Amino acid sequence: MSLIISFRSEILKSKRTAAFYFTLIGAAVIPFILLINIIADGLPGEGRASKDPINAMFKLSSDMTGLALFPLFIVLICTLLPQIEFKNSTWKQVLTSPQKKEDVFVAKFLNIHLLMILFLVASHLFIWVVVIASHFILPQFNILNHSFDASKVLQENVHTYLSCLGICAVQFWIGLRSRNFIVPIAIGLTLWLFGTVLVLEYHSSASPYFPYCFPAIRFSSLFSPRLNQVEWTSFGYSFLFLVIGFIDFRRRRKLK
Amino acid sequence: MNNPVIKTNALSYYYSAQEKTLSEINLQVERGSIYGFLGPNGSGKTTTLSLILGLLDSPDGSIEIFGQHLHSNRIGVLKKIGSLIESPSLYAHLTAKENLNVYRAVYGASKARVEEVLHIVGLGDTGKKTVKKFSLGMKQRLSIALALLPDPELLILDEPSNGLDPAGIIELRELIKRLNREHGMTIVISSHLLGEVEKMVSHVGIILKGKMLFQGTLSDLQSFQRKGARLLINTSDNEKAFELLRDHQPEKAEENVSIAFHDLQQVANITRILTQHALDVYLVCPQKNDLEQLFIDLTSSQS
Repeated sequence: MSLIISFRSEILKSKRTAAFYFTLIGAAVIPFILLINIIADGLPGEGRASKDPINAMFKLSSDMTGLALFPLFIVLICTLLPQIEFKNSTWKQVLTSPQKKEDVFVAKFLNIHLLMILFLVASHLFIWVVVIASHFILPQFNILNHSFDASKVLQENVHTYLSCLGICAVQFWIGLRSRNFIVPIAIGLTLWLFGTVLVLEYHSSASPYFPYCFPAIRFSSLFSPRLNQVEWTSFGYSFLFLVIGFIDFRRRRKLK
Repeated sequence: MNNPVIKTNALSYYYSAQEKTLSEINLQVERGSIYGFLGPNGSGKTTTLSLILGLLDSPDGSIEIFGQHLHSNRIGVLKKIGSLIESPSLYAHLTAKENLNVYRAVYGASKARVEEVLHIVGLGDTGKKTVKKFSLGMKQRLSIALALLPDPELLILDEPSNGLDPAGIIELRELIKRLNREHGMTIVISSHLLGEVEKMVSHVGIILKGKMLFQGTLSDLQSFQRKGARLLINTSDNEKAFELLRDHQPEKAEENVSIAFHDLQQVANITRILTQHALDVYLVCPQKNDLEQLFIDLTSSQS
């Protein structure tokens, strides 16, 4: 019950914040690019897209989201949410209110996950808008009469979400530690770039063990068979860094 | 005698091994009192209050609030405390009501209580205006509303008049007196200006460089003040006056003679002695020694 109260308090705080607007804007980026592409050049990847246009559009969106946009969104959101307290000097008010420190910590982490899920849901709603728009922009394809593989889309999203759990916990910890806005973002962007290059360019055998490599794993023919194991590792990292982050949060003398 | 609401026993704190910020602070705040916690900037007031509220960990000594150790029942104790530490702690992107709603459920307060505290601090009509558009005084008042939200038994206000204009300071003073009188709230209010709080406090603690210099009721402080008061005398022959007043243990103070001041009858007696011995009396003046001066004397003599 006390966790629910703390979680509700965190949700109220994120109302009208950059983090909230960024979630919606970020979710609209790929659908917007797709729409521009459809208006300018027709359906992307004519061959498959013309036969199975709805699933092709969702696949394209899911690939771009899973590889780049979602990990980068997590890096930003894990910085923006703790910044609400730093920027407003409100840590002291939070910590002198009758809330358990573990509730405060977990509620903040859950709020990040809520925004992550909102991002994925909003992204798919926007894709549906693009699908409907493209039905009228390209009437010759009769797009809305084609099938939609919802289970495949859901599966892709679960992979995207699970492979980013490790990054989320690490970035959350860094975001809680850092008063400075730039440092956690710089660390996150650098490590994500490093991890992506490690998987897709160097095919490094260390890739399945480094959390910033995980989002790119399913796009590598070499490592994608190990996706299941990687997702468990991602979950393990999430748990580990959540515990480390909480110990650090409790131990730190002065957050304000 | 009332049980103290706050009692610290030999409270000491180190920010680093070399830097002892607080040294054996024995703070005692009686139930129903308004306790003025005074000291110059950097004297350790905020550190003491932060320790009491559990914002800082691992002090030496002990802290009891409502007769309990904070860490033995942190949530239960904090539910009964409203606090404002240093600058206002508010979410700038939210309205006044939204800021209070963030903590409403945490304190188990009703929606009506939110309206009530906004009304108490005079912010009931700010509507959709976000806090970033508030003046510093409005932010300070909203912080006080937030501290009042749980209808606390103990209110801790660290430098609450920062940023308030003179009218705002008077309003705040009246509000604090009213909360104490009508709701029986125990209030700890820190300040670096004695003049600002002396009109409302019942008890005073003076801290300097992490050490308590004085603690007691306001009347204790006033009698302490009277003990230190001096009477300045200037006559046509100060050497002769010095001899005539030898029973009063006079001291030479620049161009004047100074003696310990007790009461106004003493002024009349001294004037009579001097005039009876044909001295022209130019000045008989109690040396400026109000509480503010005493505070400065106390703190500067220890600096």
